[in-house]
Amino acid sequence: MGVTKVIEVPIITAEIPIGPQHPALHEPLLLKVYADGEEIIRAEVNTGYNHRGVEKLCEKNTFYRDLFIVGRVCGICNTVHANCYVRALEYLLDARPNNRARYLRVLAMELERIHSHMLINAVMAEIVGFDTLFMQIMLDRERVMKAKEILTGNRVLADYMIVGGVRRDIDEVKRARIRDLLLKLKPRVEYYKKVFMEDETIVKRLVDIGVLKPVDVTSHSLVGPVARGSGVKIDSRASDRYDAYDEIPFNVVTRTEGDSWARMMVRWDETLEAINMCLYILEKLPFDGNPVPDEKRLPRVIPHGESYARVEAQRGELTYYVMSDGRSPSPYRVKIRTPSFNNVINSAFMYVGLSIADVPVALTSLDPCISCMERVTVIDLEKNTRYKLTLRELAGGKV
Amino acid sequence: MRRPKILGLVLRNFAKRPATIQYPRVKTPIEEDSRGVQYADLTKCTGCTLCALECPADAITMTPIPQGYEVTAKNPRRIYPLIDYSKCVFCYRCVKVCPVNAYIVTSKYDIAGPTRISSEEYSLSTLKKVS
Repeated sequence: MGVTKVIEVPIITAEIPIGPQHPALHEPLLLKVYADGEEIIRAEVNTGYNHRGVEKLCEKNTFYRDLFIVGRVCGICNTVHANCYVRALEYLLDARPNNRARYLRVLAMELERIHSHMLINAVMAEIVGFDTLFMQIMLDRERVMKAKEILTGNRVLADYMIVGGVRRDIDEVKRARIRDLLLKLKPRVEYYKKVFMEDETIVKRLVDIGVLKPVDVTSHSLVGPVARGSGVKIDSRASDRYDAYDEIPFNVVTRTEGDSWARMMVRWDETLEAINMCLYILEKLPFDGNPVPDEKRLPRVIPHGESYARVEAQRGELTYYVMSDGRSPSPYRVKIRTPSFNNVINSAFMYVGLSIADVPVALTSLDPCISCMERVTVIDLEKNTRYKLTLRELAGGKV
Repeated sequence: MRRPKILGLVLRNFAKRPATIQYPRVKTPIEEDSRGVQYADLTKCTGCTLCALECPADAITMTPIPQGYEVTAKNPRRIYPLIDYSKCVFCYRCVKVCPVNAYIVTSKYDIAGPTRISSEEYSLSTLKKVS
């Protein structure tokens, strides 16, 4: 008797929502993975849980009030956000701060890079179940938080940038204290780098997890340490040489492995580079005038025009587009494109083939900053509706 | 299995004092010039409302000075900036834009509590009461 009927049994996949509230994720993001047994066959990234309408808020407030609003897009990278916006305004005003202000800006941004990279490495240690290392790194991170407090007056939210300079100067005492803190921090960072290189738990959980090939990185527009971990040498600091980066020596760190481990190692190497840059700045800080402009005398009207500025934030390239109509005291449009927006949304292909337990590791290795990237979902509270803007609508119907 | 590289550090930590600060019984060490509670010195304030206009958090409202205080002639409208500290983001924009430098800055940071806290008490304490 021949075969008369073939019954196809479909592969039953389990749909596993990771987030938006999940012990492994520190920020609200829904990562929906479809698993066949333990293996992931598809992943979807759903966002929109943390939208605050910052861009619209910027249009409704004045240029100078926006300075403090954009600093609150993300707590961890507030000085880079403020720096990018301030430089966009300075391009419109054709203003240039003096050398001391430019050096101090870089000092604040590099201190922030140190604490951000230490934080994500600590979180990675926690995600792989190594809480002792998490506690240790966070304890040593306090040193750089103190340095930031000495420099800017606050541990996290610096509010340090202003058009034409910075908002606080440092004296010799503060300079020596920041230098001491960084000199104490440096051997600790070298030690943690060694732990990440040699510890069995970390190596087993991170190596060969979430491998990104250089061609994937460029075709999916991934930026920052994620790209540099795959051997793609992109860094806005090196290509734009904004602020004082043209005078301060530094190396662009790259690794060729392309896995989660390589991305974390790039972050440790960048932390060491940032410490060296901070020490160089503290040693060579120029004295060419007062870096603190009088905020009462700043220009009230920003000339008509558009400007586009970019910085290398801790997570990659961050860009600001600011448009002024020349009459109103508030910007006509502020467009923010954050690095996590590229890195998290475009990297859903990376999870395919991983096991379920490796998903948090792969996600954390991207250094996701969800509060940064929520931009395009519109929630209308009056009509109680929610919709996503298309590219055509975002571009004002001109695409 | 190899010995974890962090074991020596963990053992050394047993001999050290705990790093955790028992807040609020022990105060967190803070810089003297860090950005804490700020309030207007009403002997200098002219009631110009510039700080209220510039505040990015809309935390400042210009409020009439209650009766029973000696108000200087510089403040003809008898108003002063009342800062709602639950809204304030401590960016010190008000301090920097004040044309008469009327703001007094402190490094006081532990203001969280069950009641809403504003600068009313601080600011009015700078004025003399009518005898």
